[in-house]
Amino acid sequence: MTTRLACLYLACILATSWAAAARAAPESFNTALPVAEGEFVFREQFILDQSGADPSDADRDRTAWVLVSVLGYGANSDLALFGVVPYVDRSLDITQGSARRTRSASGLGDISVFGRYTVFRRDWPGRTLRVAPFAGLELPTGDDDETDSFGRLPASVQPGSGSWDPFGGVVLSYQTLDFEVDAQASYRANTKANDFEFGDVARLDGALQYRLWPRELGSGVPGFLYGVLEANLIHRDKDQVSGTNDPDSGGLSLFILPGLQYVTKRWIVETGVQIPVVQDLNGTALEKDTIFRAGFRLNF
Amino acid sequence: MTSPRVLVGRSAMKILLWRPAIWRGLLAAVLLATVWGGPLQAQDAKLVYTLYADGLACPFCAYGIEKQLFAIEGVAAVETDLKTGTVTITMRDGATLDEPVARTAVEAAGFTLRGFERAGGLE
Repeated sequence: MTTRLACLYLACILATSWAAAARAAPESFNTALPVAEGEFVFREQFILDQSGADPSDADRDRTAWVLVSVLGYGANSDLALFGVVPYVDRSLDITQGSARRTRSASGLGDISVFGRYTVFRRDWPGRTLRVAPFAGLELPTGDDDETDSFGRLPASVQPGSGSWDPFGGVVLSYQTLDFEVDAQASYRANTKANDFEFGDVARLDGALQYRLWPRELGSGVPGFLYGVLEANLIHRDKDQVSGTNDPDSGGLSLFILPGLQYVTKRWIVETGVQIPVVQDLNGTALEKDTIFRAGFRLNF
Repeated sequence: MTSPRVLVGRSAMKILLWRPAIWRGLLAAVLLATVWGGPLQAQDAKLVYTLYADGLACPFCAYGIEKQLFAIEGVAAVETDLKTGTVTITMRDGATLDEPVARTAVEAAGFTLRGFERAGGLE
């Protein structure tokens, strides 16, 4: 199954590459955001994450919306520093016994900070290739001890994880005047908090932005409308409760994100929908329905 | 009937216009103004440079390079052309741009300077 998913993922990456199409950076990951020395880039993204296909009798229905603010700064031409601040609102409808309950929480989530260093850069007229490893840490800034009338909320509803989670990876960007391809491999090592540990996350992400308009480039710096196609292959280890694996957690997922981006010199608006193509999850782990993304970016 | 005052005026004009020494004087004044005015005009000219920047491939990237170049002292205007990968820099009156300075700015923006040329003056 894993081999089949890997092949499918590679096929998607190749398909997006061959579909041929600028450097506006992907919608579903932040590590490829371009930022020059002494420059700031700000991205605000609204994410609506719906999960409702519950294979268990609990008939769980989870809705989460997240407002993600990202600020990047170019320390020099190679080193960029980023901060990611999420505001989350999570709600879980669940049937327990004969009663239907809604459990929810909202607030500041876990802030991430990371640095990206460009180790390889090759420029040609109208195109560029960059490779940059990155490393960072997710800080336990969100509340992880929220309660309601039924008691302490489950970890999946808490705004924060309570844990210090390091992550790292490498991102490759190839951009021409017609298209941009980004690929990322990353790993997040989640740590324990409150006797609970989310499973580690390994992911491969690929993104293609293809210039739909203007078809022919005129003079100056015209605004570009890009068609976006992204693929995210995500593997989650099982969560651990009191040191024991939760059999109904973790697994492998593949998402495809078709979307649009309008890019100008100073700002970008973007939107897309992540659709699960494959969800090979463990036990009765809750599957995703769709993830809607919309946002904007500013250069200053 | 023409008044005596008008007749005197017309005579004076005829003398002035037809006397060769006056024309020679006017010609000399124009030549002097040209010779002396030349260097002054060059000092006031706005120099224009064309930079060939490799790696420029989208509108969002153009902002970074323009910001870096605009921060150079004496730069009056920066204009990017994505299709040709060129950045045209117009300097303020009397200001000049050195290639190493331009190269540093382009590098800081994350691009590579392939070519640098002075395109001429606007004035």
